[in-house]
Amino acid sequence: MTDPEAFRRYARPGIRMAAEEDSKIHAFAAVGSVCRSYNLLLDRAALEPGLEALVLVQQDVEILDPDFCRKVRRALDDPEVAVVGPVGATGVRTIAWWEGDISAAAPVQRYQRFGGGEIPAFSWKSHDPAPAEVEVVDGRLLVLSPWAVETLRFDESLSLGYGYELDLCLRARAAGRRVMTADLRVAYRTRSLKVLTDTDLWIEGHIQAAERLEGRLPEPPTAAGSWRERARRAEAEREAARTLAYSTEHQVDAQMAPLERALDELTESMSWRLSAPLRRLNRWRARRRGGA
Amino acid sequence: MIAFASSVTKPAVYARCAEPGIGRCAEPDSEVVAEPATGSISHSYNALLDRFAGREDLEALVLLHQDTEIVDTDFCRRARQALSDPSVGVAGCVGAIGVKSIAWWEGSVTLSSFANRYEEYGGGELPGFSWDREEAPPYAQVGEVDTLDGFLLVLSPWTLRNIRFDEDLSEFHGYDLDFCLQVREAGRKVTTADFRAIHHRPLEMLPDVEPWVEAHIRVAEKWDGRIPGIGTAPGSWEERARRAEAERDAARTLAYTKKLELQARRLQVERALEDARGSISWRVTAPLRLLARR
Repeated sequence: MTDPEAFRRYARPGIRMAAEEDSKIHAFAAVGSVCRSYNLLLDRAALEPGLEALVLVQQDVEILDPDFCRKVRRALDDPEVAVVGPVGATGVRTIAWWEGDISAAAPVQRYQRFGGGEIPAFSWKSHDPAPAEVEVVDGRLLVLSPWAVETLRFDESLSLGYGYELDLCLRARAAGRRVMTADLRVAYRTRSLKVLTDTDLWIEGHIQAAERLEGRLPEPPTAAGSWRERARRAEAEREAARTLAYSTEHQVDAQMAPLERALDELTESMSWRLSAPLRRLNRWRARRRGGA
Repeated sequence: MIAFASSVTKPAVYARCAEPGIGRCAEPDSEVVAEPATGSISHSYNALLDRFAGREDLEALVLLHQDTEIVDTDFCRRARQALSDPSVGVAGCVGAIGVKSIAWWEGSVTLSSFANRYEEYGGGELPGFSWDREEAPPYAQVGEVDTLDGFLLVLSPWTLRNIRFDEDLSEFHGYDLDFCLQVREAGRKVTTADFRAIHHRPLEMLPDVEPWVEAHIRVAEKWDGRIPGIGTAPGSWEERARRAEAERDAARTLAYTKKLELQARRLQVERALEDARGSISWRVTAPLRLLARR
């Protein structure tokens, strides 16, 4: 963990709710990259006799499923299954695995911006339900089988911390094992709704992972040909993606405009202003009740 | 004489948008031509250029999309002023410098004197940063640019006689950048001018991505090495491919963030509206509002 408070508030309550009497909880401070830290956890877990599964939970992921352990056991019933998670995808070509076809167990995103709230995670696109066999699972919550704990390690050369889950899942599949989504209910706790928190670093991580994973992922369907052709197409698709992002922003603003106008009209109306003292009085009474 | 010409695929749109704008600013001797589109926009525009190329009395040809509405009643005066420098080949009201591709808006836009009027979500208007001349930011300026937005182009007689739209590039996309590059390669200037227009168009900027991508590639291949900056980037082809693929995925993901934020913002405002409308004070003052409506 890099933020103990986040662990205390989000990951720990979920783990405590889901854990069984004999479950071991390893909560360590992060050391170096996420891969290095996770490998330490794997090394530690590998020493546990009678290990049925290792659940790697990021500090800001909250398990909501009281039946979590039973579902994990069921998912790992098939000895061919090595890695399980609540969200995953097929048709993956880069670390942006969400560009593939998503399979998900209805996870939610709880955020603080915009007055706080909860929305379905990955709601920007349609997805299939879990369980399903996938190529990769979201690295924010990974369930590893004893075979995976014994055999696999995260690639510490992915020093920027991106693409580690894709690399691990590719290793598992290359060894003939399966990667699955399972109906595990979780909440991702975030301050904002940004899918990428540090875009510049993520871009560098994307490049680093693409070089490391060369030959292990299918080439883009349009990439047949030279690097020149691939570069031309990627540059064009990049500009198209940026333009579509602007377009989405305009549409968001346009969709919000009537709602915000309605709110402005209401709060600027004569009756709203006339009744302001009443609301102040109510707030004061509520505070008194709260303080009593 | 200043002529106005449009290539029309939807006569109703032309009648609603371009025609009133032209009516607002055309001079008594102006010729106005609205021809049905034939093939690509480049092909249609070239037919219009051919039609006027032999006219000795022509001062300027104004090419406008069917959904473009000129706003200024003194547009012709402003167009003449823009072309008063004989080295100017083409003028427009939206342009940019530092342009590297047909996504010219990724460059530094120096003038954006237009408003995007849309019909979705009850309708509305998104003004460009120099739409309001008084409120325009310091970087808004009339002057030489790399390219113009093709929705409204004012062509000089020289350009009309010497330059043609490239019909091999695409059905619709990138024709404006290519045309401006041809003008510049021929030694003439491309400039912004102080006139304004409304672009009546949907908010969706790229309804057909694949043809746009193809046009982007063709224009880059055509101009790489001919005009500095176009079609070039640092690094080897492999490095360029890797970086562009990463930046493409980042841009796509940014759009997902916007969609999530929309859901959250909508929830927030709906909650505020519900709270307000459910409050005692709002309910107590209901008769007052009823009275006001009468």
